[in-house]
Amino acid sequence: MSKPVILCVDDEKVVLKSLKTQLKEAFGDAYFYELAEDADEALELIHEVWEDESSIILIVSDWLMPGMKGDEFLTRVHKEFPSIIKIMLTGQADELAIERAKEQANLHQCLYKPWSEEELVATIKSGLAQR
Amino acid sequence: MDEQLNQAAANILVVDDTPANLRLLVGILTEQGYTVRPARDGFQALSIAQGIPLDLILLDIQMPQIDGYEVCSKLKADERTRHIPVIFISALSDVFDKVKAFGVGGVDYITKPFQVEEVLARVETHLALQYLQKSLRAKNEDLGKTNEQLATTLQQLKATQDELIQSEKMAALGQLIAGVAHEINTPLGAIRSSAGSISKFLGQTLEKLPDLFQSLSREEAHNFLALLQQSLQGESTFSAKEERQFKRALIRQLEEKGIENADIFADTLIDMGIYHEIGPFLSLLKRPDSKHLLEIAYKLSGLHRGTQTINLATERASKVVFALKTYARYDQSGEMVLANLAEGIETVLTLYQNQLKNSVNVVRNYTELPPLLCYPDELNQVWTNIIHNALQAMNYEGTLIIDIAQQDQQAYISITDSGQGIPEYIQSKIFEPFFTTKPSGEGSGLGLDIVKKIIDKHRGRVEVTSIPGKTTFTVSLPINIKEETQ
Repeated sequence: MSKPVILCVDDEKVVLKSLKTQLKEAFGDAYFYELAEDADEALELIHEVWEDESSIILIVSDWLMPGMKGDEFLTRVHKEFPSIIKIMLTGQADELAIERAKEQANLHQCLYKPWSEEELVATIKSGLAQR
Repeated sequence: MDEQLNQAAANILVVDDTPANLRLLVGILTEQGYTVRPARDGFQALSIAQGIPLDLILLDIQMPQIDGYEVCSKLKADERTRHIPVIFISALSDVFDKVKAFGVGGVDYITKPFQVEEVLARVETHLALQYLQKSLRAKNEDLGKTNEQLATTLQQLKATQDELIQSEKMAALGQLIAGVAHEINTPLGAIRSSAGSISKFLGQTLEKLPDLFQSLSREEAHNFLALLQQSLQGESTFSAKEERQFKRALIRQLEEKGIENADIFADTLIDMGIYHEIGPFLSLLKRPDSKHLLEIAYKLSGLHRGTQTINLATERASKVVFALKTYARYDQSGEMVLANLAEGIETVLTLYQNQLKNSVNVVRNYTELPPLLCYPDELNQVWTNIIHNALQAMNYEGTLIIDIAQQDQQAYISITDSGQGIPEYIQSKIFEPFFTTKPSGEGSGLGLDIVKKIIDKHRGRVEVTSIPGKTTFTVSLPINIKEETQ
């Protein structure tokens, strides 16, 4: 599998499913879309994909999740895989956390729930354009 | 006398129709430093007494026109002059009716001819008495005022206490708000997204349907519909991880059957809620236009998925809003109502949902309780404070056990956390107002004090037992079942 992967992380399944539907609609077969329900599962998934010699090129992650919060998760990802474009999608803004993610994880953009499909797609496109 | 008597300022009225007697008495008293006024008859005496403040009246009995007894009666009948002590002056030769004298309100008498010392002694005595009585009256008035102030202050304190409880509630609410906003925005996101997808998919598929069915044979059309059916019936209760496993298995299956783009197909089938049993659809997947077919099936079933998501999300958001409203409500009526305790606890748990998810295992052991006569809003405050403390003690990781039980006419609600416990020497203090183990600014220390006050109001009890790893707060409430009599 050499198609690049976009990973979505959120503890709410309805959000994950909705995101995948929208991304598939916008980007079609250009990418594979993987879903994870918390940061730990996401990290596991990232390594699995990497071992499969494929690569995750973009992550859309929630902030408020049980266990590791989004900013910490994205920072960890950034340490190992700095080239992955990181976007945060949050239902509640902790300003400090967003700042941290920008500084330490090179966060591309933070979007707020309820998000607009157009904005999400545009943000992803602009993020991918930077690679 | 213990008191400092301002005798020099004492005002005395002397009433006697015999000028010589008048002069004598006025003289004696003035010499002592009193301020003395003379009156030659009863009417003059009454007029003076009503006009200026007097501390004592010396009153002759035998007077023309109006005698001493009558004057005294009139003095006592008038509010303005009632309090002035009256000492009668009687002549030895007169028939002096002592009983009448005291009966009309006199306090003493002196007989002519009188001893100067005796007169002065009696005057001094009654002035002192009068002074003390005045003092007492004044003090009583002060006491009355103080009582009024105390009553007002008590009212204010009660109001303040109510405000404190309400503001504690709001403070706790403030802390929850962040999580609650998330809890509402998340379903809103799903709803918005689904609405968008539904509208798009409908537009994209509607016009393609006639051509689609024309191109399919009856059997294939039947399979297509069966595919749709399976998708519509599927309820995806699997975790993302489980779905990945299904996908891998499905990919293998498809590859075995020689189907191209197995990964893309498998992905779409999983999204449609079709995890296995794809036998009937294989023929569809082998067609040259399989991608097109599958896409339409995916979008058509997507309409259903979108609607389901919207329903689910709406319910979630409503639940959270309801819990919020219930929590923030302030019942002004002050009356007890029948309420379901379990519902109240669930309301609180809903608000804390975000903080409980996945990292806190909530165990509920609820037995059916009859509706309880209580103040439900205040009890919600109790559950909130106890649960909040429990979660903090466990650092939001561990097990929270909630038991509801009934014994005789008492309801027992126990909340147990797996936190580090409360040391024994602190256990007796935790219900004290302003006692807190949290660093300054993180807690008012009023939480458990408020809990205790509310439980007291319900005539219940709250107790704590604690060992490291297991701390239990038990609230017991009487089940006052009011029987309705018509």
